[in-house]
Amino acid sequence: MINSRRWRYGEDLRGALVALALGVITSSAQAACPPDATDGAVLKAGELVLAYRPVLAGKPGRIPMAKHFALEVQMCDKAGVSIARLQKVDATMPEHRHGMNYRPLITPLGGGRFRVEGMMLHMAGHWQLVFEIQSGKEATRLTDDVQID
Amino acid sequence: MRRLLIAAALAALPTSAAFAGEDFSAAEVDRIAVHGPWPLPWTADPGNRVSGNAAAIRLGHDLFFDPRLSANRRVACASCHDPARGFQDGRRTGRGLVTGTRNTPGLFNLRHQRWFGWDGGHDNLWSASLRPILDPREMGGKASRVARALRSKSTLDCHYAAAFGKRPDAGDPELLVNVAKAIAAWQETLVSPATPFDQFRAALARQDAQTAAAYPAAAQRGLRLFLGRGQCATCHAGPLFSNGEFGDIGMPFFIKPNGVDPGRQGGIKRLLANPHNLLGAYNDDPTRDNATGTKFLRPEHRNFGEFKVPSLRNLTLTAPYMHNGSLATLREVVKHYSELDEDRLHADGERILKPLHLSEAESADLVAFLESLSPDTPLPVPAAPPAVASCR
Ligand code: HEC
Ligand code: HEC
Repeated sequence: MINSRRWRYGEDLRGALVALALGVITSSAQAACPPDATDGAVLKAGELVLAYRPVLAGKPGRIPMAKHFALEVQMCDKAGVSIARLQKVDATMPEHRHGMNYRPLITPLGGGRFRVEGMMLHMAGHWQLVFEIQSGKEATRLTDDVQID
Repeated sequence: MRRLLIAAALAALPTSAAFAGEDFSAAEVDRIAVHGPWPLPWTADPGNRVSGNAAAIRLGHDLFFDPRLSANRRVACASCHDPARGFQDGRRTGRGLVTGTRNTPGLFNLRHQRWFGWDGGHDNLWSASLRPILDPREMGGKASRVARALRSKSTLDCHYAAAFGKRPDAGDPELLVNVAKAIAAWQETLVSPATPFDQFRAALARQDAQTAAAYPAAAQRGLRLFLGRGQCATCHAGPLFSNGEFGDIGMPFFIKPNGVDPGRQGGIKRLLANPHNLLGAYNDDPTRDNATGTKFLRPEHRNFGEFKVPSLRNLTLTAPYMHNGSLATLREVVKHYSELDEDRLHADGERILKPLHLSEAESADLVAFLESLSPDTPLPVPAAPPAVASCR
């Protein structure tokens, strides 16, 4: 009982410190860990949980075809907010062996949150979103299949 | 299950015995729906502060038809972009001061394009409109000539002043950009009308089988091929029938006598070197949100020999086809896709296209569908927009 309470306290403190270190504590930017459906699609690899949500013209929405969109990404692990870095986001069409015509830009927002701009899936069909995450020396690759019509 | 039995409705019509309508599944109806509605809503171009401005639109119209902007005073935009031919010229490749290497595209529905030129060498309509004025192969114009042409006619002079708040001055570094923005403001108003396909699509959406049945059976079968086995909509997507991006369909890119057209690869280079791109000082959108495409561009080896996926609206007005105008008819285009030479596709190019090996009847169906994306009545040549009150 005492142990688990101490554990939680420690994690809260660590989360707060991370947020402080990144200089971002705004109420709207507060991390939601673990993520739920309101944070978008949830992907998992071991203890790492990544949620992403497409944003079009400033509003959450579905990934459009052949239009630019952004992604809001939240990363968590068992400690709460993950301190891993989102290194690269890309998308490919495995059957057609090609990727996007654009190179997205990742901006860390603090609290395990990232904004990815400049995405565009320019053809109808099966795409695979790829997230590359670096945590210390450990690299993790998460993918998600999406169908665009 | 949303199924529309056009054939059933047809049975009720007196003269339709030989006419078999297609039975589109709910999934197909959904895929048809993404090619509309038409026309699309129009919004002003945030990168062009005179977009939608009445004085600029009138000025742009008048300049479009004015050959005095060119070096020999004989070539106007309209010389190649003929309004009677969907703003195209019917030639394999455009001919201005000299004959060029690319086919002249029509100019309808430009407001909804992201890239301009077959290689997407421009990210905005006004810089694409400035290029031909200055290009020595097309009009060979310059600022002093343009300023003289504007000042010599009171309607031009007046509309310029009304749109930009100053008189045209050859020494003004903004003069040519302003002129191009005015011509863009007029071109943006050119929207092609709804087509037999659009009427069919709208009828399907409201489950109006009787109106849907007026769409020829051959076009319906062609539509099914277009969406299905042909996989045409992968690239020719959405209401414009283009995803606005670039592709390689194995068209030759050699230019006589021994050059090559690098397509998109050259287009990206031109775009990034152009001071009139949306990252530059002439973009009137302070948010720069309209520059997303240019800012995040990722050049790839495969861009060599890629060309813009053209819109398929108004094809019956704009033969010949392809970036080099090498295919004279829609039959030839369909034959190209049917007999596609896969060796011509780049090694790391698309793996979408396969030779379709269409039968005679299937080819005719696909052509009938493509024709149904054009208006079925001749288009009137657009009238001059009204002069603004202060210039009458
Ligand atoms: C000599 C014939 C010729 C003249 C004159 C000409 N154009 Fe063009 N235009 C072309 C050709 C050819 C292309 C394709 C160019 C390319 O792909 O690089 C083109 C492309 C365009 C495009 C891009 C369209 C698209 O869908 O990508 C626009 C816009 C345009 N022209 C506007 C104009 C305006 C405005 C003028 C007059 C200031 C003009 N043109 C004069 C031949 C001409
Ligand atoms: C991989 C993407 C892609 C697919 C799939 C595709 N096209 Fe195209 N299409 C293009 C590109 C790119 C061009 C221009 C090529 C050039 O000029 O070199 C083009 C050109 C055309 C043109 C000429 C339009 C004009 O104004 O010159 C027609 C018509 C056309 N396609 C019809 C079709 C049909 C029908 C299918 C299906 C059988 C199809 N396309 C499948 C990319 C595609």
